[in-house]
Amino acid sequence: MTAQGPKRSTAEEIVERADASLLEIVDHVLNKGVMLQGEVFLGVAGVDLVYLRLSALLCAADRVLPRAGK
Amino acid sequence: MIGLYAIVRRAPREAVGARAEPLLEIGFESFCVLAGDAPPALSVDALRAHEAAVRRIAEACAACLPARFGAAAADEEALRRELAPRAAELLEALQLVEGREQMTLRVHGRGPAPLADAPPFGLRPSPAGGPGTRYLEDRRRARHLPELDPLRTALASLTRAERVERHSECGLLASVYHLIDRGSAQAYLRAVDATRLEGFRILVSGPWPAWSFAPEVAQP
Repeated sequence: MTAQGPKRSTAEEIVERADASLLEIVDHVLNKGVMLQGEVFLGVAGVDLVYLRLSALLCAADRVLPRAGK
Repeated sequence: MIGLYAIVRRAPREAVGARAEPLLEIGFESFCVLAGDAPPALSVDALRAHEAAVRRIAEACAACLPARFGAAAADEEALRRELAPRAAELLEALQLVEGREQMTLRVHGRGPAPLADAPPFGLRPSPAGGPGTRYLEDRRRARHLPELDPLRTALASLTRAERVERHSECGLLASVYHLIDRGSAQAYLRAVDATRLEGFRILVSGPWPAWSFAPEVAQP
């Protein structure tokens, strides 16, 4: 991953240095919804950044709401 | 239950899933679905394994539409019932990604206010146009992010398709997904590095399988 532009924030430095590839994988592989059971902790340097508890449905709204005209 | 990995034109030889299981090839008239065991419980390792399996398939196939983690069907017959009516759509998507791969840009910066934060249309003073014009202009900007046009120009010879997803998170304005020809990722990275966008910060990753250009299939 490369970057350009103005001064980066602390969060951006963490994301770049640590496990950006994991964050990209999560976005690409999970984006748009999935239904499963489980828990996910995404952490960097021992600090939990994201915690997902998936007891039933993690899903984008366009998958849940009725489609117009359906 | 079967878990889905990808839709391809022709199945690669000896394809295996995330847990090294042999993949079932479910053939349709113009494409083939690769399926394996039912999706496991969600975990970081499971996500990485799914991504790795899809990447292996994509590398072995000229055209690959990745299935997201958790995509599943009750059985082969249920999958056929869902996908057969969508054959034309899926074939068109396969043609778009054939011989191509995805690059992902994360756009950070201040930029224009996201649409959700903008004043209600009709209340904002504007030098030209009525409320309808302003509303449509907001929609166009939200979708296109014209501030990235210098980067688009620099990448024009490499980019075959683009998807823009606006975000409401503070600082993260948008994700931009580009389809490029396989083998041109280094040229793409050099072009991004060489382009300066005042007030924006761009993170680029890839090449990836064409995750953001694949229609949703068999989502629960």
